[in-house]
Parts: sequence; C-alpha cells; structure tokens
Amino acid sequence: MDADYSKETGRILGIGASILGAAALAVGLLEIFGGWGGAIPEDQFGGLVLMVTAAAYLLGVKGAVSGRYEGLSFIVGGLFLTAVFGVLYLLTAGAEALMYLLGEAEAFPGIFDLRPEFWIFLLSLPLARRVRRLLAGMAW
Amino acid sequence: MGDPNREDMAEVLAERRYQAISKIMEASVSRGEGRWTRTEIFDHVFLSRALGLPIFLALLWAVFTFTFTLSEPFMVGTELLFGWMGDLAAAGVENSRIASFVAAGIFGGLGSVLVFVPPIFMLFFALAILEDSGYMARAAFLMDRVMQSLGLHGRSFIPMMMGFGCNIPAIMAARSIDGEKERMITILISPLISCGARLPVYVLIAGAVFGTGFAGTAIFSIYLLGIALAIIMALVFRRTLFRGEPSPFLLELPPYAVPGAKTAILHMWARGKWFLVRAGTVIFGTVLVVWFLAAHPWEATAGGVLIENSYIAALGHRLEPLVSPFGWDWMAAVALLFGLLAKEVVVGTYGILLGSEEGALGMSLVTLGLFTPLSGFAFMAFVLIYAPCFAAVVTIAREMNSYRWAAFAAAYLFALAFIVSGLIVGVGGLLGFS
Repeated sequence: MDADYSKETGRILGIGASILGAAALAVGLLEIFGGWGGAIPEDQFGGLVLMVTAAAYLLGVKGAVSGRYEGLSFIVGGLFLTAVFGVLYLLTAGAEALMYLLGEAEAFPGIFDLRPEFWIFLLSLPLARRVRRLLAGMAW
Repeated sequence: MGDPNREDMAEVLAERRYQAISKIMEASVSRGEGRWTRTEIFDHVFLSRALGLPIFLALLWAVFTFTFTLSEPFMVGTELLFGWMGDLAAAGVENSRIASFVAAGIFGGLGSVLVFVPPIFMLFFALAILEDSGYMARAAFLMDRVMQSLGLHGRSFIPMMMGFGCNIPAIMAARSIDGEKERMITILISPLISCGARLPVYVLIAGAVFGTGFAGTAIFSIYLLGIALAIIMALVFRRTLFRGEPSPFLLELPPYAVPGAKTAILHMWARGKWFLVRAGTVIFGTVLVVWFLAAHPWEATAGGVLIENSYIAALGHRLEPLVSPFGWDWMAAVALLFGLLAKEVVVGTYGILLGSEEGALGMSLVTLGLFTPLSGFAFMAFVLIYAPCFAAVVTIAREMNSYRWAAFAAAYLFALAFIVSGLIVGVGGLLGFS
C-alpha cells in the first residue's frame, strides 16, 4: 500500500512520538506512584492523563513510520492533549502568581515550579510544527 | 411514538437518504487520492474505541481544573472587594438593623454568592470552546456507545449535556426526542446533571475541605457521579416504568473548527448572564428571607450576632436529625432547605450564618468542624442529587404535562440523595476516610 506522506517524514514523526510517548509514560507513572522530589508532584489524575497522552503517541508510532494517516491521527491526539495540559499548567502558574500578589500565597511561583507537563509541551513543539505543516494542505 | 414499525421506517428512510448523499458526494466531490480531511484525522483518534472515552474524561478533567484554579485569584479579589464594601456600608449606616441587613444580608449573603461569578463564567467559557470546536457532538457520540450498550437511547445525552449550563433548557430540549418513553426518561434523569447553579457549592466545599491541589479533581468526580447516576437511573426506568427497546439514533457530526475567542465569550455571556439575573432576583429575595430569620428575634440575637437564638437556628435544629447521620449540623439543614429555591442560596445561607469577609467562609467550614473531607464530599453529592430547583420542578411538570410526574421526580431524587450520601459516608468511613 502506498504511503500517505514521505517515509522520511514518517520516520521523524515516529521518532518524535516515541520520545514524547516515553517521556509522558515515565512522568505519568511517577505522578501516579508518589511523585519524584520537588520536580514531579504526586497527582493520580494528572498521571492518568499523561498515561492517556502516552498511549496516543505510542499507538501512532507504527502507523506514522509506515507513512499512514492513521498513525498521524494518534500523534495529533497526543500533541493536542500535550498542548491542552501544557497551557493549562502554565495558566495555573499564572493564577498562583496572582494569588501571591493578592497576599494569598506564600511564594511567587518560579520557573522550576512549573509542572513537568509544561516541559513536555515545550519538548513537543518541534514535532507539532512538523505535523502542522502536514495538516496545512488538508481541508477541514 | 412507540410504534416499532414507524421507528423501523424512520431508520430505513434515514439510511437511504445517507446512501443517496454518499453517491452524490462520490460523483461530484474530488478530495485528491487517499487524502484525509482534518476532521477525519481528528475523528480517528477522538472517536477511537481505545482512546475516545479516556480523552473525553481527560478533557473534562482539564475543564474543571481550569475552572477552579484559574478562577481562584478572581474569587479572592471579589471577596476582598465585598468585604471592604460591606464594612464601608455598615459603618456609614446609623440604624443598626439596616446596617446589619447591608453588611450581613447584602454583602454577606448575596456577596458570598456573587464571589462565584468567575468560576461559573470560566466553566461556560471552557464548555463554549469545546462546543464551538465541534468536540461536544463527538462526546455525545462517545456516550451514545456507552448508553446503547446498556440498552439506553443515545440521544438522551445531548439534552443532558445542555444540563451542564442549566437543567431547565436540558429538560425542554428533551422535546427533540421522538420516542415518548425516551423523552420521559431523559426528563427524569436531566436534573442529575450538575448545573452551573450547583458549582458555587462545589467550589466552596471542595476548596475548603480538599484544598487547592485537589478541589478541581473533587469537582470533576462530582460531575462524573452525576453522569453515572443519570445512566444508572435511566437503566432503572427503562427496566421498570418505561419498558421497551430504544429507538434508533442518528447523529450528524459537524466538521471541526478552530473556536474563536469572540464567539466563545459571547456564548459564555449568553449562558452566564442568567446567574447574574438570578442573583438580582430569586437569590436576592431568598437571601433576604434567610437574613431576616437569622437576625430575628432582634433582641434575642443581639442584632443578628447570636445566631443560635434566631428563628433560623430553631428551624435548623428541628431539621437537624435528618442530616446528622451524614455528619452535618443544623446549618447544613437550613442551607439545603433554602437551596430548594435556588442552589446558589446554599452558599448565601452559609455566608449569612458564618460571615464571608476575606475568604473566611471556606476556612470557617473547616475550622468550626462543620465539614471533613468525607462529610464535605457527601454534602456535595447531596447538593448534586436532591430535588432540582423550584423552577426546574415546574418545567418538569409542564413538559410532562403532569404535576404527579414532577412530584415523582422530586421524590425519587430526594430518596437517591439520601442513599448516595449515606453510602459515601458509610463506605468511606469503613475504608478509613474521615
């Protein structure tokens, strides 16, 4: 069967999705099972969301490497969830900063207080750019 | 409806119509060989059997985390503003009775409800984005799978989802359902979907007993509990009062679209303004009654200070045995009683009884020992389930053309609230939660 897009693009998508999927899986497991130091908080629901994100990326790897739209679709799902939660936690940090200014929080949130989901979101941006180019020519 | 032959005919006609549309599309539309549309790309993952439902739940959780955490500073700001205005107004009024009414009644009672304008508007903003993007129709499709597998009608979920805003349009939207039995079931279960009016209660209690970190998750679980109970009750009604097979359900999925900020804000305003209208009418009126009962007899309460000597405390102590098994006191009993008029009044009642200055309300609930995490969660569940507001009961009577059905809806919801809250307290206690 012919590929829907070039094998080279598929290989890049597959590698990107594998890295992001593995990162989301590792951080998700740590969040579910007690966190890790101050960098990864204990958060069962947050961890479960990361597991769903990881599943989306990893389910897309095989299809993406073969250059199929089915694979691209799952990677788009993973990128979408990554973006939603990355932006959500960035906004949460903004809300905490506002709380500090109102005198309701003890410390102003620093850059290292940001949740790991935000860093995964930053990590996903190059892949998102590549995917955006693939989607650009498609009709809604 | 209810005639199986007519339902079969409707299904066959719809299928033929879509076959004809497909033929015309194949002959006249060229998309390029093998190319998918963006909608197909998104649908392949969002409607996938493996990930569709988990993604829906993840997005729903994001909506409530967004609603709770982002609205917090705005709520604190509003609280500070009302506290300051209350002090200012009370200091400027010489008549002690009017000063008490302004400080405790208007700024304490009504103010404690208006503090929840930010989360309500943020919830509607998030839901508007999901709707405008075309995702909500997919959510209905996903839930249809679940409901059909239980022998229920998937179409019921669309009016139910409208219930996230307000139960009244959800009950009225059941008119679009063809089958009479399905329509009746949908109306009866619609009040179990958490409307915006209940959100202030959840935000207050969850924020107080679970803290900022877990409040969003607690609220999310209450919304899920509502959906689960609606499905369970639909199943019970289908197997008892309204026996039969569900009629076929066809849902046309719109293409995805990038939601615009302006449209989302307009939708948020259209849905959220009812809260402001209610605050100025039914909530204000009820809060006035609560303040009067809390501040009188004037001499015995020393001008509304000694609440324990008030009419409302006497009423509350009479009702207390009904709620004390759940670990709640007389204040909860009167808050729930006045909440029958409008659910937001539950918060307003606590605002009057405890005072609401500078965020003290949530803190008071914990420091005075009124709620623990377990009893607080049971209280949230009770507010979710127990009889809908008065306006919703009237709408049920009008839509079902029977006050008996409206009374039945109120009665079964009350019974269910007692059962579920009892189970939460009982099972939670056995599992070691406090």
